[in-house]
Amino acid sequence: MKEGFRQAMAWLHTWAGLIFGWLLFAIFLTGTLSYFKDEITHWMQPEVQAYPLDDARSLAAAQTYLQQQAPNAARWFITLPDSRDPGLSVMWQDNNDPGKRGNFIQKVLDPVTSQPVQARESMGGEFFYRFHFQLQMPYPWGRWLSTIAAMVMFVALITGIITHKKIFKDFFTFRPRKGQRSWLDGHNAVGVLVLPFHLMITYSSLVIFMSMVMPAPIVASYGDDSRAFFNEVFPNTNNAPALGQPGVLLPLGPMYAQARQQWAGGHVGRLVVNNPGDVNASVNVVRAGADRVVHDFGSSVSFNGTTGELLRVSGEQSLPAAIGGSFYGLHMGHFAGPVLRWLYFICGLAGTAMIGTGLVIWLGKRQLKHAKTAAMPFELRLVEVLNMASMAGLMIAIAAFFWANRLLPVSFAERSDWEVQTFFIAWGLSLLHAVLRRGRQGWVEQLSLGALLFVAIPLLNALTTSQHLGVSLASGDWAMAGFDLTCLASGLFLTWAAWKMQRRAAPQLKAERARGLTLKQEAN
Amino acid sequence: MLLALLMCYAGFTALCLSTDRHHGELLHSKPSPPRRLTLRVAGWLLLALSMWPAVAASNWAQGVVEWCAVLMLSALLLVLLLPYRPRLALILAGVGLLASPVAAFALL
Repeated sequence: MKEGFRQAMAWLHTWAGLIFGWLLFAIFLTGTLSYFKDEITHWMQPEVQAYPLDDARSLAAAQTYLQQQAPNAARWFITLPDSRDPGLSVMWQDNNDPGKRGNFIQKVLDPVTSQPVQARESMGGEFFYRFHFQLQMPYPWGRWLSTIAAMVMFVALITGIITHKKIFKDFFTFRPRKGQRSWLDGHNAVGVLVLPFHLMITYSSLVIFMSMVMPAPIVASYGDDSRAFFNEVFPNTNNAPALGQPGVLLPLGPMYAQARQQWAGGHVGRLVVNNPGDVNASVNVVRAGADRVVHDFGSSVSFNGTTGELLRVSGEQSLPAAIGGSFYGLHMGHFAGPVLRWLYFICGLAGTAMIGTGLVIWLGKRQLKHAKTAAMPFELRLVEVLNMASMAGLMIAIAAFFWANRLLPVSFAERSDWEVQTFFIAWGLSLLHAVLRRGRQGWVEQLSLGALLFVAIPLLNALTTSQHLGVSLASGDWAMAGFDLTCLASGLFLTWAAWKMQRRAAPQLKAERARGLTLKQEAN
Repeated sequence: MLLALLMCYAGFTALCLSTDRHHGELLHSKPSPPRRLTLRVAGWLLLALSMWPAVAASNWAQGVVEWCAVLMLSALLLVLLLPYRPRLALILAGVGLLASPVAAFALL
């Protein structure tokens, strides 16, 4: 009975892991990149200058600009620059038609001149972040697919713990240079050593989409009024409606200071000004997510915009909000400083490596059986092609995305869309290449191309912008320098991988040629 | 976070040495039963105690998260070092143990 159970679990682990492995690899890698979303955006919009942080100056600049450009907007959103994202971002919702939702217009301002920065159009790190849960599919299909993938990941983790029963006994074991054995050791090592992260990230992703996945408990306790549930979990700020009489908005600086006092020095994430041109204007100062591990969606202080009177301070979180918020906070890692952020990144890479090694093991095990026959069965060939395109191809696609950012002209129409197109075109081409080329040779070529593209990124950056490594390191712009250096490191890693592949491909090719010769001789 | 890292790394190294196979690989001998017990107790103690500096350096929530991260990464580092640079892995643990009182002093 026990063995039967374990075998069933092994079966589930093998097949669930295979079918969703390719997708999960992409989700994990892009999700891992999202930990440096702001830094990637900074690299992809080098026109946005980083200044020493000065919230008062930024706030005044934003208010001056918005008062000139959008005095009668329905709402202003001001996101202050922080140590990771140097852009002072303002957004407003125009107020043309009271019945409909107005359009949102967004600008990035220079906090010193309070003029919009003419930055190149680019999604930046937001692309990876969006992709890792929307998969570039129309709403809600992408979210559903990624949530299903997360569920499968959770199943694969649990069944994996049961299947590889020796992982806790062989906790410290990794034996390199032993072929299949090493892949399995590596799979187990990155699996078990970083297991808390894997479980947390997978489970929390399900919690984040819980209302979509499991509406039943919400419907059961709140009836059809799911609004009531959201009000409890994400306490909304009920703002007074506009009265239709013009009013004068007070400077936002003192409200900002007063809000920080309320939070014992906590940081401000953004400010929302409702009906800025009305006598009934209200200002919500929202706390930064970076302040605490447990994310609080509604932590804000509200003021009357024309009198400056403090209207409301959001209370403590309710228990469900705190539980949901802690999973959300842990998953997103907004609170993480530079060191912890890098640890998050490494954990994410370990998860990606676990999925990748699992895919390699699946194929390697089955290839052994067909080592003696010349042609691989169709299904193994299919897995090989998909493995190559989903792993090496994705690396090429990511590099191509960065290259497109630097090479597409700034004035190009629909520029940011074309960056995304480049990503998918490169990915598609790598799939085509994988179909056309033989196994190992294809791997070597794709890994080499990826290596070349990544290694050259610092050079590309130096040639196309004025922010090369010498400048960014000297000025202490760590986001810019870190991006270049990380690309360089990824390129070197891919070079090493390609070299490893090449070295193991060479004897095999020789053997194949020798076999071909003997076959010919036999025919003769 | 540094002190927690040093303690976690040393703790995992002690636990690793408490197994016959790794003790043999690293020190070329079989551990005696009392030695094995000492290593095991020391390893678990170090791991458990390493939570204190992580929490003391910041608040509870942040500290626990940092502790988990350091715990995972120190084990990962050790396991990757063991097959390639076994001596370095041991030296690091020794240096970590020697340096941790200094790091602890800096924390106080």
